[in-house]
Amino acid sequence: MKLRLSLAILAGKITAWVSRFYGHKGSSLPGVVARRIYHGALRDLAAQVGRGVLVISGTNGKTTTTNMIVKILGDAGYKVTSNLEGANLITGVTASLIKDAGIWGKLNCDYAVLEVDEASMPGVLREVNAGVVVLTNFFRDQLDRYWELDKITGIIHDALHKQKQATLILNADDPLVAQFQKTTSVPALFYGLGANDQSARTGAQTRDGKFCPFCGAALDYRFFHYSQLGLYSCPGCEFSRPVPQVEAFEPKVEGGQTRCRLVYDGREVELAVQVQGLYNLYNALAAFSVGLHLGLDSGPALDSLGRYRPVTGRMEVFNYKGKLAYLNLVKNPTGFNEGLATLCAAKGSKDVFIAINDNDADGRDVSWLWDVDFEMLGEDHRLFNSFVCCGLRGEEMAVRLKYAGVPINKVSINANMHQAIKSALAGSAGAAYLFSTYTALWPAQKMIKKLAVEGGAAR
Amino acid sequence: MIRVCHLYPDLLNLYGDRGNIIAFQQRCKWRDIPVHVQSVNRGDKVCFRELDFVFLGGGSDREQILIATDLMKRRDEFAAAIEGGLVVLAICGGYQLLGAYYLNRDGENIPGLGILDFYTRAGERRLVGNVAVEVSLNGVPFKLVGFENHSGQTFLGDIRPLGRVLSGNGNNGRDGLEGVWHKNVFGSYLHGPLLPKNVRLTDYLIGLCLERRGLNKELMLLDDDFENRACEAMLLRLVHRGNKLFC
Repeated sequence: MKLRLSLAILAGKITAWVSRFYGHKGSSLPGVVARRIYHGALRDLAAQVGRGVLVISGTNGKTTTTNMIVKILGDAGYKVTSNLEGANLITGVTASLIKDAGIWGKLNCDYAVLEVDEASMPGVLREVNAGVVVLTNFFRDQLDRYWELDKITGIIHDALHKQKQATLILNADDPLVAQFQKTTSVPALFYGLGANDQSARTGAQTRDGKFCPFCGAALDYRFFHYSQLGLYSCPGCEFSRPVPQVEAFEPKVEGGQTRCRLVYDGREVELAVQVQGLYNLYNALAAFSVGLHLGLDSGPALDSLGRYRPVTGRMEVFNYKGKLAYLNLVKNPTGFNEGLATLCAAKGSKDVFIAINDNDADGRDVSWLWDVDFEMLGEDHRLFNSFVCCGLRGEEMAVRLKYAGVPINKVSINANMHQAIKSALAGSAGAAYLFSTYTALWPAQKMIKKLAVEGGAAR
Repeated sequence: MIRVCHLYPDLLNLYGDRGNIIAFQQRCKWRDIPVHVQSVNRGDKVCFRELDFVFLGGGSDREQILIATDLMKRRDEFAAAIEGGLVVLAICGGYQLLGAYYLNRDGENIPGLGILDFYTRAGERRLVGNVAVEVSLNGVPFKLVGFENHSGQTFLGDIRPLGRVLSGNGNNGRDGLEGVWHKNVFGSYLHGPLLPKNVRLTDYLIGLCLERRGLNKELMLLDDDFENRACEAMLLRLVHRGNKLFC
């Protein structure tokens, strides 16, 4: 058995070297190979993690939350292993542990912080004893793969039910997430965002979870942050937003920075992260809650979050001849809406680049673009200098902008990504915002890096 | 004034189907045709006779059962308005509801409105992917493109299909037919959404509404460059494979 684990690790490592040699990211392939050789590879390695395995799942914010937790734990001096590249299927999770394991089958780390795809939760939790499970939110994502939200929350529920040793870290503001405390009776800690002046601004958005998960009645909302996130209560039963143990107030986005007042344990501190967008505040709240639960000092944890820098395509900043350019991954209506809200809130004029692909990893059905509120761009299009649409479904994107009320003379379609990116970077506006679906993200980032300098946020 | 009704937008709103309403509304607005869109949810009052265009989208199973109960109460009035020329577009789940019944995997028979002559039964596999369909409106053949995602397979009785499948599955993946067409009612499995990039169909529906209002149904031409390119890009992939043709 030990021998098979060693063989699996060795084969996994060789696969990783070979695929890296050929220039592939290859973040899940080593896991595929290792699991072929020894199916128990993940189980055996995860059992060796010293202090505990942390699992992060949900629709949006998984990667950023995972990275923030890794930063906090790493800065606190712990040895951490994680699937930082976002390969979040069971094969990717296996690959991440193999990467840090010795070929004699030993894994020496304090924490494993694992981002796990929603549909892979049952498989991963069967093999891994998670001490902490973080759930960020549930929105519609790649419906041709997951069909319906009901199915996904059902799958997660079944997976969590057996994890009695775990603590759930849950987003109180999302009824689809908050329900899991009751339905699984696993102990939970909640984080959330209090009412603020931006609340309810997006009340017209498609809201997925607006019906009570317990009795089906339409939930009453006192305010919305975005999508179905907000302060809700059910008129039909006793379900309502749980009181968060970690709660943020008065969020402000300024100069590439997002800050808020944070209340926990009767204490009040300030939290500032160097990333734009309300959704990133949620990610930071989740990461902070994890730190608190693990007994870390809050001061250093806040410092770590303040020093956190975004990863590829999470409002990643570049500088093109003095003009700031932000690259943002988009994969579902809620994430895109929040990206657009950030775009609209930023001062000055903008050039916009949007790349939409419809490969398997992007979701083959692009109709979700019609659930994104591009209408907010049409309302005041003077702030926008140009929109260039690119990718396998660039034409579709141009149609969407046209019907959202953006004047067609500001919209162009360019299938050549290099030219399209260049036109956005070199456009006459004060800043450039680049949005891309998953499979267009890496090529886009590569091209931006050739043209522009990395970094340049918040000065 | 064209009176549009979006039925159950809070429940039947999967797969960006609201884009159909956006497209219909914008193409009227760009031609200075006044439009009023009314959203009707469960329990709301609606008078089908006074409407010109009704849109019914698709939802998850749970949501579909919720609205079926509500729609059943309005069934006779809805059916009468349809016979009177009401223009209807029903997509996916909404389309299935217009038929006789839905036979689910457990063999349970869920009654539909029984307005149109067809039935649906759950299939073994889910039919998912891009679709191209050949249709003919006013004797002019053209192609529709969209994306289907359904496990129900629909079989038509004595009723005309919307078109013939060129690529994809359509109603059931077997008989090569897609959608249904009766009087001014159009049912289809095509999301995408359907109307924004299939503007000939959209304009045809607008024309029918104008006619119903007793107005001139000739429409001003619009610049459809983006729409045609979006349609053409998918047709190139599915049908022509290199042989450039406009839809």
